[in-house]
Amino acid sequence: MSNLNSQSKPQSKSQSKPLYKNRNRSLAQSPFNRITVGAKWLLLCLLVIPVVAGVVGVFLPAMGYFPAIGANQFDFSVFAALFDVAGIRTMMWLSLFTGVVATVIAALFAFVLLSVFYRSRMLSRLQKVLSPFLVLPHAGAAIALVFLLSPSGFFARLFTIDSSAIASANEGVFLFDSYGISIVLALVVKEIPFIILMAISVMSQPLIQEKVNGYFKAGTGLGYSPIAIFFKLVLPIVFPQIRLPLLAVLVFAVSNVEIPLILGPNDPSTLAVAILHWFNHIDLSMRLQASSAAVVQVGIAAFAVFAMLAVEKGVTFCGKKWLQRGKRQAPDKAISVTAYLLLLAYVVLVVSAVYTLVAFSFATHWTFPHIIPADVTMIHWNTVLGAMLTPLSNTLLLGVSVSFSALLLVLLTLESEPFNGGKTRASLLLSTALFLPLLVPGVAFLYGLVWFQQLFLKDAVWFHVYVAHMVYVIPYVYLSLAVAYRKFDNRYEMVALSLGKSPMKVFFLVKIPLLIGPILVAFALGLAISFSQYLPTLLTTGGAISTVTTEAVALAAGSSARLSAAYVVIQAVMPLCGFGLAWWLSNVLFKPSTHTISTNQSNTGRSVRSV
Amino acid sequence: MMLIIAGSAYARTSVDGNDNAIAGPGANPKTDPNPVVRFHAWGGSAQVNSYLQWVADSVERKHGIALKHVKLADTSDAVSRVLAEKAAGNLNNGSVDLIWINGENFAAMKKNALLATGWVSDIANFALTNPDSNSAMVTDFGEPTLGMEAPWGKASMVFYYRKAHFDAFNEPVPQTLEALLQFSQQQPGRFTYPVVTDYLGISFIKYAAIALNPSNQSLFYSPVTQHALEQITPSLWTYLDALHPTMWRNGEYMVRQASQLQRLIGSGELSLAFSFTAAEIPSAVERFDLPRDVRTFAMSDGSLANVHFIGLTFNSPNKTAAKTVVNFLLSPEAQAKKQRLQVWGDDTVLDISALSASQKSMFETQQSHPSALDKSQSTPLYAEPHASWTDALRQAWEERYGARY
Repeated sequence: MSNLNSQSKPQSKSQSKPLYKNRNRSLAQSPFNRITVGAKWLLLCLLVIPVVAGVVGVFLPAMGYFPAIGANQFDFSVFAALFDVAGIRTMMWLSLFTGVVATVIAALFAFVLLSVFYRSRMLSRLQKVLSPFLVLPHAGAAIALVFLLSPSGFFARLFTIDSSAIASANEGVFLFDSYGISIVLALVVKEIPFIILMAISVMSQPLIQEKVNGYFKAGTGLGYSPIAIFFKLVLPIVFPQIRLPLLAVLVFAVSNVEIPLILGPNDPSTLAVAILHWFNHIDLSMRLQASSAAVVQVGIAAFAVFAMLAVEKGVTFCGKKWLQRGKRQAPDKAISVTAYLLLLAYVVLVVSAVYTLVAFSFATHWTFPHIIPADVTMIHWNTVLGAMLTPLSNTLLLGVSVSFSALLLVLLTLESEPFNGGKTRASLLLSTALFLPLLVPGVAFLYGLVWFQQLFLKDAVWFHVYVAHMVYVIPYVYLSLAVAYRKFDNRYEMVALSLGKSPMKVFFLVKIPLLIGPILVAFALGLAISFSQYLPTLLTTGGAISTVTTEAVALAAGSSARLSAAYVVIQAVMPLCGFGLAWWLSNVLFKPSTHTISTNQSNTGRSVRSV
Repeated sequence: MMLIIAGSAYARTSVDGNDNAIAGPGANPKTDPNPVVRFHAWGGSAQVNSYLQWVADSVERKHGIALKHVKLADTSDAVSRVLAEKAAGNLNNGSVDLIWINGENFAAMKKNALLATGWVSDIANFALTNPDSNSAMVTDFGEPTLGMEAPWGKASMVFYYRKAHFDAFNEPVPQTLEALLQFSQQQPGRFTYPVVTDYLGISFIKYAAIALNPSNQSLFYSPVTQHALEQITPSLWTYLDALHPTMWRNGEYMVRQASQLQRLIGSGELSLAFSFTAAEIPSAVERFDLPRDVRTFAMSDGSLANVHFIGLTFNSPNKTAAKTVVNFLLSPEAQAKKQRLQVWGDDTVLDISALSASQKSMFETQQSHPSALDKSQSTPLYAEPHASWTDALRQAWEERYGARY
C-alpha cells in the first residue's frame, strides 16, 4: 500500500492540496469523520489482531509452552526435535524451491506477455483468456490440472492413437513428481494472470499512464523497439508498484496447502502439507512439532522474500548496465515467440479444462483413451445439487456478509484518508497491516488463531470463520477500491460540499453513486476471495461449516472423478456470476454517471485473485 | 414396521422384544424441541453421503431431529477436535455428537475418555445384533467397546480388477499375496496401496503381515511387543522392498486416501486395487465411476475383516437425540437400505435370524451384478489384529520407508 500512497501524493499536491486543506479544517470534527476514523481503526484491528494472535499462538507451543498437554517450559527442544524428523530438510527445500521458482517464472512470463501486448488491442483479449484461471480458486485450478495432465488425463488421451492402449503412470514426468515440478506448473498457471492484471492496473493509473506514454514516445523516437522500451523504460516504473503484491504471491507460493496437497509429492511432501498433517494428528503432542514447523515456515517465507529482494537488486544493477549499453532491441523475436506460445498454451489449457471438466460432470462411462464419453447423464449433477444446498448457502451467506462488511469498512477507511493526508501513524500502520495477512503464511497463523478461538468464545463458529475470511478479503477489496477512490475527481465532492451538503450526504449521494462500478467490482472480488478460502474455513470451523471449496477439496480426494469435476465447475461459475452481476448492475443502476469511471476501473476490478 | 424409541428410559424397558417400541411422532426428546445432531463421518464416498442424506431426511420426518452430516476427509480430524475441546475444558457442549469410527480412532478416543460410556444398551435395536452370542458387536480391533459405540456395519477386504487389462496382459488374476507381487513385477505400475496413515493403507500392511507370517498369527491378537514386532517384520520388509519399486509411479508417490485407488482404477491407471466395502464396487459401476469390466474377488489366502461403529462423544450436548438417531441407524429398515447394492451395499450388523419375517424380507438379496463379489466362494477371514498393532506397524513402516503425508 505504501506504493499507492506514495504515488497518489504528487497527484494531490499538484491538483488539489489547497482544497483538501480547507476541507480538513472545516470538516475534521464532523461526526461522519469520527465514524470514518473509527472504521479505519476497526479495519486495522481486524487485520492485525488475528494475525498477531495467531503468530503468538504458534510461537508459544513452538517454544515448548502448551499447557493443555502439560508442557510449560520455554526452550528450543521442540525445534531440535523438528530437525530430527526424517526428510525435514527436503520438505523445507521443496517449499522454498517450488515457491521461489514458480514466482520467478510467473513474473518473467507475465512481463514477457506484457512486453509484447502492452500497446496492442490484444491486451483486452489476453485478459479474457486469463480470467478463468484468475477467478478459479487454487484448489479448483489444481484439480483441473490433474484432469488434464495425469497419465489418463485429457492430454494423454489426445496423444494416444491406439484405442486399446492402457494408461501408464510409470512412464514420463506426470503429476506428483518428487521435484515438485507439477506444483511449480500449477502455481505458474495460477499466478501469471494475477501478476499481469496487477501490472495492468498499475499502468492504467493516470499518472503512470502519462509517464509510460511519454517514455514510449521518447523511446520510439530514439529507435528502441516496443519490447525493448517495455523492459528498459516501462518495467522500472511499474515494478516498484507491484513489488508488494508480488511478494504476497511469493509468500503464498512457498506456504500454500491446496496445490501440493492435490498434486504434490509425498515422499516427502512440502512443509506446509506436513504442518497440516501434524496439526491434525490425533496425538496432541504433535502440535508442538507442528507449531515449530509453522515458525520455520514463516522463516522460509521471510527468507524467500529477502532472496527475492536481493534478486531484484541484482537484476536492477545488471539492468542499468544493459540500459547504458543502449542497444535498441531486446531479443525481440524470442520474446514475441514466447509470448504467443504462452498465449496459445493458455488458450489450450482453458479450452481443454472447460471441456474436460464439463464433460466429466455429465459423463457416463468414459474409458481411456477415448476423448469423448460414451454417453451423458444428469446423475452426477443430481447428486451434487442434492448435496449442494447447505454448502452453497453457507458459502453465499459467508461471502455476502464478509464482502459487504469489508466493503463498508474499506469505503469508510478510504473516506477517512484525505483528512489525514496519508502521513499519520495510522496510515503507515495501515499500509503495513494490509499486507500482513498476505505476508504471514496462513498455515502458520491460522492454527494459532484457532487455539485462541478455542480459549475464548469457542462456540462462536460463525464469528471465527467470519473473522478469518475478513483477514483475507479486506486487503483485496482495499487494493481494488483504493485506486478508483484516489482517481475520483474531487471537484464533484467540492461542489456538493460548497452547495451545503453534509459530508455524509456527499458520501452517500455523490461519491457512492459515482463510484458504483468499482464498488460493485470490489464487492464481487470480496465474494470471490471468500468463496476460495479453504484453510481458513476448515480450521476455524473444524469442518462444521462446509463451503463449496471445502467440499471440493474433500471430493478431490474422493472416489468419483465426475463429482469432483462438477464441484470445480461450480467453483468457477460462482465467482464469474459475481463479476458478471457486478458488471451488469453497474450498467443498469447508474449508467449515466459511471460511464467514464467504470471504463477506467475495469482493469483494477479484474486484478484480482485469491491468495 | 418401524421401530422408534424416544428417550433412554423408554428404550431400556423395551430391549427384550423385537416388535416393540412403537411410539408416535410426538415422542420427541423432551429437552429440545428441534434438536440438532452433528454426525462426523468420512465424506469421500457419494454412496455413503447419499445414504446419510436419506437418514437425515428420515429422522427429520420421524423424530424432528436435524441430522447434520459433517463430511470428514479424515476421521482423526474429528477425534483431535474432541480432544482439543477436552483440553480446553469444554465438557458438555462439544461440537461433535456422533462419530463414525473403529480401530485406532476408537482406541484413541477410549484411551482419552472422549466417548460416553454404557449408552449402547439403551438402544432398542442394538438387541437385534445379538451381542451376547456375537462378540464382534462389542469388540473393536481387540478392544472391548464397553458400550461406548454401537456397531453399524461390517466389512472385509476385497480386491477388484480391470478384466480388459488382465486379458490384454494375458496374466492370471493374483489370488494370493505372493501372486500379487509376481503380477506387479510382470506388469509394473498396475498396483499400489495408500499411505499407511490411511485406513486402507495400513489394512493392506496388516493383511500382508498376517499372510506372510502363517506360523506366528497368534501374535497379532494380543497387545504388540517389541519382540513380537521383530518376529513379524523381516518377511514383511522383504516383501515390500520387492513390491514398492514395481508399484504405480514406481512407488515414489503413494495415494493419500483409499478413495483415490478407486479413482485410478476408474481412469485406467491401475489394473488392480482393493477395498473394504465390496458393495461399493458394483454401485460405483452403476454410477459410472468404474468401468463395466471391473470384477471383484477375495484373496484365497485370507481376507481382513472388521466391524465399524458409531461413537457418542462424552461432551455431546444432544445425547438423547443422538441415541434416537443411532437407534434408527440400527433399525431393520435403515440397515436393509444400507445393504442394498444401489444404495451403499454395507453388510448389516443385525442378526438376520433374530428378525421377524417381515423384517427379514427387507433383506432379500437383489439380483447379482457382474462386478459384485461372488459370495458363494468362501474365503478364510483374518480378524483385525489388536489395535496396538496398527500404530506399531505404521511406525515401523514409516521408519523404514519415510513418513508420507
